[in-house]
Amino acid sequence: MSEEIRIGVYVCHCGLNIAGVVNVKEVVEYAKTLPNVVVAKDYVFMCSAPGQAMIKEDIKEHKLNRVVVAACSPAMHEPTFRGVLGDAGLNPYLFEMANIREHCSWVHPDDKEAATEKAKELVRMAVAKARLLEPLEKIKSAVRPAVLVIGGGVAGLRATLDLVERGFDVYLVEKRSVLGGNAVKLGELAYTTLTGKDVVNSLVEKIKANPKAHIFLNSEVEKVDGSIGDFRVTVTRRLGEGKEEKIELNVGAIIVAIGYDPYEPAIGEYGYKTTDKVVTLFQLMDILSEEGPTKGELLIGGIRPKSLAFILCVGSLSTTPNAKPYCSRMCCSASLKTILKIKEKYPDIDVYVFYKDMRTYGKEEDLYWKAIENEVKFIRFDEAPSVKPRDKFVEVEAFDTTIQERIAIPVDAVVLANGMVPATDTEKIRIMLKIGCGADGFLKEAHLKLRPVEALTDGIFLAGVATGPKNIIESIASGSAAAAKAATIVTKEEIEVEPLIARVNEDMCSGCGICAALCPYEAITIEVKEDGKRISKVNSMLCKGCGTCAAACPSGAMQQSGFKDNQVMAQVVATFRGE
Amino acid sequence: MSEKPKIALYWCASCGGCEEAVLDLAEKVLDLVNAVDIVFWPVAVDFKIEDVEKLPDKSITASLINGGIRLTEHEKVVKLLRQKSQYVIAYGACSAWGGIPGLANLYKREELLSRAYFEVPTVVNEEKVLPRTYKDEELGIEVEVPEVLPRLLPLDRVIEVDYYVPGCPPTPDVTWNAIQALLSGNLPPKGSVIGASSKALCDECPLNETKPDKLLIKEFKRITEFTPDPEKCLLAQGLPCLGPVTRGGCGALCIKANMPCTGCFGMLDNVSDYGAKALSFLASILDVEDEKEVERQVKEKIADLVGRLYRYTLPSSKLGGKVFKR
Repeated sequence: MSEEIRIGVYVCHCGLNIAGVVNVKEVVEYAKTLPNVVVAKDYVFMCSAPGQAMIKEDIKEHKLNRVVVAACSPAMHEPTFRGVLGDAGLNPYLFEMANIREHCSWVHPDDKEAATEKAKELVRMAVAKARLLEPLEKIKSAVRPAVLVIGGGVAGLRATLDLVERGFDVYLVEKRSVLGGNAVKLGELAYTTLTGKDVVNSLVEKIKANPKAHIFLNSEVEKVDGSIGDFRVTVTRRLGEGKEEKIELNVGAIIVAIGYDPYEPAIGEYGYKTTDKVVTLFQLMDILSEEGPTKGELLIGGIRPKSLAFILCVGSLSTTPNAKPYCSRMCCSASLKTILKIKEKYPDIDVYVFYKDMRTYGKEEDLYWKAIENEVKFIRFDEAPSVKPRDKFVEVEAFDTTIQERIAIPVDAVVLANGMVPATDTEKIRIMLKIGCGADGFLKEAHLKLRPVEALTDGIFLAGVATGPKNIIESIASGSAAAAKAATIVTKEEIEVEPLIARVNEDMCSGCGICAALCPYEAITIEVKEDGKRISKVNSMLCKGCGTCAAACPSGAMQQSGFKDNQVMAQVVATFRGE
Repeated sequence: MSEKPKIALYWCASCGGCEEAVLDLAEKVLDLVNAVDIVFWPVAVDFKIEDVEKLPDKSITASLINGGIRLTEHEKVVKLLRQKSQYVIAYGACSAWGGIPGLANLYKREELLSRAYFEVPTVVNEEKVLPRTYKDEELGIEVEVPEVLPRLLPLDRVIEVDYYVPGCPPTPDVTWNAIQALLSGNLPPKGSVIGASSKALCDECPLNETKPDKLLIKEFKRITEFTPDPEKCLLAQGLPCLGPVTRGGCGALCIKANMPCTGCFGMLDNVSDYGAKALSFLASILDVEDEKEVERQVKEKIADLVGRLYRYTLPSSKLGGKVFKR
């Protein structure tokens, strides 16, 4: 009935990485003594083309139906060797890897004998598990060729435009009545004479001209069900007079570009809201805007200031008890760019910049030198300056760390370069989409370097300041990046996911519900069957194979494919008992 | 006339409840007696070991053995029954996994003997006599007293077991189901549990439908602290009910009496260590942040962790009991 188990064991030298410590020949000879092992070999680089070819030939010649490679980390080459099995006509999941590099030779370079013994034990464990491996098939699911973009700031707009230009339907949901987000408030941008509004308008025009773009203003995402390739979304649109309408959408991927809120200083923080002579950078940019309340004329508290103090890092770098620990990334450059514009129009104004760290990074360093050429005075502080409103002026006092002296400068007005905080809706969206966020409250990418712009949940991508402070250039670039990643999904007719996920044996499940409460991906629901019996269901598209449910399942009905209880237990027993 | 199937019943270290359980079949006992020949049943029928020894090998259709293996005598008799039987059934929790007497595996044999023969307040044993084989001078014979084994063992650690009937004791329904399966020959693969459910108790529990979709508990409670609402899942009310980790088939008797499941039907097929699984699921649903709080709840609310979670299965667990330094 059951086929004979025939295992091939391949021990890699990894050059001298393994062979320099572990006696690989001895490990091979040991492997040959293990039950069901029909062939065992070593090779200098098992992952190389000749190494792979050796395994393929052996699979045919020795009729192998399980393969164990003792080499490096499975994170490195498990996909490689699974591919080898696949090429040789064997199910790729009948493969097990023993990590005798990171887990052995690299950590025990001083004790070669013990390292060799440990390598044997790791091989014994892998063989014990391999005996019980089962063939698995990738799980497939149909994809809806449409994308939901949440948030109509520059990142969301850029993502929308990229995707509609590739021919996909995009549903752009913006909670405000206008598109553009915070960018429309920005004045002239670095490296260009365009304002934030100009950039927004250029994007919006192109989007509106494209019939694939579906824009929902005054709208919010209410509910999201389903999973990668097939999300079902409910959007609520406010129609005025208290009326609302619900819109149902079906998309294959979601881009979250919900932006940020400007940091709102507390009342009295740097004199904020205790005098009309203290304004935030965003308020100043509004004043300087042609469409602003003063039609672009610089008037603060009713007067045209002759002297201005900018205080940077307001709400950032832990300058005050309320401030966030991070750098908000755009305020240094935005302040200097604004100062240079003011200096251009009002050359007689004296400008003082109080800063903790000047982070005009990259090419924006140029702004700093231009400001110095324009006689802007820079005063570095460690402790936040105090702002004291007087009758006709405002006094800014700080300990200047450069001259090591406490100084007080009277100015006509103070500008607070306020940073960024997560948008108010971030937590709501995070819970609704089951994605992660960091301690700072911004949404979290799956891996900053290996999986940028991807959320922890498959099929969801993150763009713009939703994941943390960015300048406008970076925001737009991340919008394009998210669009490109989303396109990799919606261009496919169906997607495949790894079969190494949890599965329920319905004949054993009592519907106790322990698993559903624990699943961090909300992949498990309890269904009530026709006879009233409860049973656990795993959404294979949402399951990440973390194993939490399988470990907790009290009846053993939930098993993790590739790591079933009997497979793991066989490894444990092999560890302690030997063969 | 074709011969009736032969049945043997035997008890090892057990309280006698399993013997009662067979009688609890009530009028069905008569059906049983009509259907089979009982060839050995020390508690009820006057056959001796010698009678069993005379039977041909494999001539007994089934031996139902209850109780754990505590004495050398238990070992001897069950090995004999194995030799004479086609099927050996571990009947009841003690036989299947060690049961409550198996909790003695938390102590060394010397500690047990000392407790039982010297320290118990009702014992007077000034000469510190322990049970031992001795020569009766008057009768001129050697009186053989069986020895206490170092640990109590489940039946399957001593002889091969074909089927298991769970429960402390097995309920009449479960017993009858098992007997019918045996007599009809309609049997699952060797090593299976017969007579009970293949799912956990929650499946047949009348309160399962009241369970919240997401079951998390802030604080465990003891049954002495409050009277639970009989209409609501006891686990959801904070009682560490072991229904999710325990085989069903009992008909949720304790739950119907408003008491949480204590686990006497043991683990399900895919579970190899009952207590570990029980601890794993209880710890998983305990919704507290602080590790100290977990410790407090275990101490105050679960109180006797091993006694509660391994109440019926300690000898069959991965460790088999407390492990002492040699």
